[in-house]
Amino acid sequence: MRVFRWKAIVPLLLLGAVGAGLWLVFADRIAKHTTESVGTTFIGARVEIDRLHLDVPHGRVEIRGLTVASPFEALQNLLQADLLVADVEPLPLLEKKVVIDRLAATGLRFGTPRLTDGRTAEQSDGLKGQITKWGEQLRVPALQLATGKISVAQLDPTQLNTPRLATALAGRADSARQAWEAGLTGLGTEAAIDSGARMVERLKGAKLTDVKLLGDARRTLDQLKRAQERVTALERSVTSGISALQPDAAGLTDARQRDYAIARGLLQLPGLDAPDIGAALFGAAAVDRFQRALYWVQLGRRYMPPGLLPRATPGPRRIRRAGTTVHFPRVNEAPAFLLKTAELSLSVASRTYAARVSGVTSDPTLYGRPAQASGTAPGFRLAALFDHVRPTPRDTAAASLVGVALPSLPLPGLPMHLEPGAGTVGLNFAMQGDRVRARWTVTSDRVRWVRDSAGAGSAVGDLVWRTVSGISTLQMSASLAGTLDRPELAVSSNLDRAIAERLRAMAGAEVATAERRMRAQVDSLVDGPVNAVRAQIATLGGDVTKRLGAQRARLDEARRALEQRLPGLRLP
Amino acid sequence: MLLLKLIQSLIQTLHSEGTPGQVAAGLVLGSILGLTPLLSLHNVVVVGLIVILNVSIPGALLGWALCIPAGFLLDPLFDAIGRGLLLGTPALRPLWTALYNAPVAPLSGFNNTVVLGSLVSSLALGVPLFLAARWGVTRYRATVAERLKRSALYRAVSASKLYNLYRLLRPEP
Repeated sequence: MRVFRWKAIVPLLLLGAVGAGLWLVFADRIAKHTTESVGTTFIGARVEIDRLHLDVPHGRVEIRGLTVASPFEALQNLLQADLLVADVEPLPLLEKKVVIDRLAATGLRFGTPRLTDGRTAEQSDGLKGQITKWGEQLRVPALQLATGKISVAQLDPTQLNTPRLATALAGRADSARQAWEAGLTGLGTEAAIDSGARMVERLKGAKLTDVKLLGDARRTLDQLKRAQERVTALERSVTSGISALQPDAAGLTDARQRDYAIARGLLQLPGLDAPDIGAALFGAAAVDRFQRALYWVQLGRRYMPPGLLPRATPGPRRIRRAGTTVHFPRVNEAPAFLLKTAELSLSVASRTYAARVSGVTSDPTLYGRPAQASGTAPGFRLAALFDHVRPTPRDTAAASLVGVALPSLPLPGLPMHLEPGAGTVGLNFAMQGDRVRARWTVTSDRVRWVRDSAGAGSAVGDLVWRTVSGISTLQMSASLAGTLDRPELAVSSNLDRAIAERLRAMAGAEVATAERRMRAQVDSLVDGPVNAVRAQIATLGGDVTKRLGAQRARLDEARRALEQRLPGLRLP
Repeated sequence: MLLLKLIQSLIQTLHSEGTPGQVAAGLVLGSILGLTPLLSLHNVVVVGLIVILNVSIPGALLGWALCIPAGFLLDPLFDAIGRGLLLGTPALRPLWTALYNAPVAPLSGFNNTVVLGSLVSSLALGVPLFLAARWGVTRYRATVAERLKRSALYRAVSASKLYNLYRLLRPEP
């Protein structure tokens, strides 16, 4: 039996030749598809290419009509480029490494509209979700007075002290009344009075020498005396008991005041200090800018990590499981990706600028130099440095544009938006390790305020409109500082004080009205039990005292009658 | 239809004129194609081996067809094996680093967990699969084959176009 199938050699070579021919025919398409797929995974938004041509003999790649969708806005592109020409080193390609000596990009445009949502579900391997969560901790509540109402939380009756105290007091008063009635019943005054009356009858016509009768009379008198003492004791008990209940009844007034305070705490009043107003007006827009800057920095850190340890990235898309692709960088070897220099011709706000990028690599430690971007032109400045060479990455970027038409700024919660017009915008972002420091500024002296027709009118909306519509300048500054876990946002603008003063004046009346409403709500819950317990205590004291007084009078009468029959037996 | 073709292929392979060893070798090489992601550089080598070596091509096709679903099912296992080899075994790191920085080797995608896990698994399964397939074909031919040859089903399969195609590709004696 022969080991080799010699007759298959020729067909195999033919098959190889056909394969090579097919590759040459479809190489552009394969490279285009691969570039789109890798770019989409990398950016977290769709990357589309009109045409890609591999010029293998010259080591050149031409990309025409590059469109990168924005990972943030559904119907906006991050950038579009007319033409990109890259000079690629051929030898590293054998190691599946891409080293671009020079890239020239022309016709770069930013923020152009698109027809379909270009964001991908993967959102760049979950980074978008993390950035969104990070931004949520900085979110500033919209100006609540903009609705014309102060928000009032639901008053829970069980939170109030007064009804609970009134109920407890009513219970104590009822217990005292029962005890006193039992005491009244147990006094034995009726028996003593009857004995006294019978003794007075027996003494009528009796001789003073009847020692036994005199002894009985003395005992009856003692009986009356003790009954009187018991009445006195019960009277004292009633008096002291009522005295003890009275302060508690009076204390219900204090409890009601405390309940008013609790209810007042449920009024959700907006911050009316100037910084709060600034944050409410421009905080959301500032957070949005900072989130985007952080997104790109974190993306850079993810794909351009420091160090030479093996690094895992998501595997290629295919029908089978993608798995994880692990990279094993080694000293003195080429990085998996390196863009040595790029010359960019970009168009911003109908003006053309030039910028330069260098040292963008997947393995900064191997390359040994930080990635840089720079661009200067009249009214335009861009400088960025991404230093991932050392173990602690350091990323800084600063950009400013002067005299360009700035995009409109929505004002959350208010039925208007701001058209800054031509002005100056600046963004500085610095991050070292996990410490972040950023600043976003917008200045313009030709701002325009536009009332939104769709927005519902409100008293505060009108007030803010009246306040700001006459202001034609804008100086806004938002800054971010701290660590990624505990960032702090501060926003200020020239509008803050003016709006804050007007709102505070208006809020005074609003707050008073809301407080009156809350007090009425408390009263409706408190009045019933308080009035009932007060009436109970008032009735309680009067009734028991009256009955005790009647019994005392009868005892006094019986004792007096008996003592008149026994003048010689006066009690000491 | 697919199932019918698979049965047809199975019967024809078992009744082919190739030796049990040739059929088993074809099955093993075909299983590598089925268990690993198809569009990988190593599979070009495997296809070349199937064509050049005097193994049963129907056996290879059968092994490929049978192992494709197994490959999909076992992908999580391959992923774990590949991860363990690439990231969880420090002793192998110098080897991977050398391969990663060598010409051509990175084009094989060896540094992908599924590719490496499936390739290593299919290579590890190769020897037992070869022995088991050779024993199975031998036993089959000694016991069931003659009876089956007389059956109407076999005659129908033998008369089909696929069988004629197979005859062109059968191993040389």
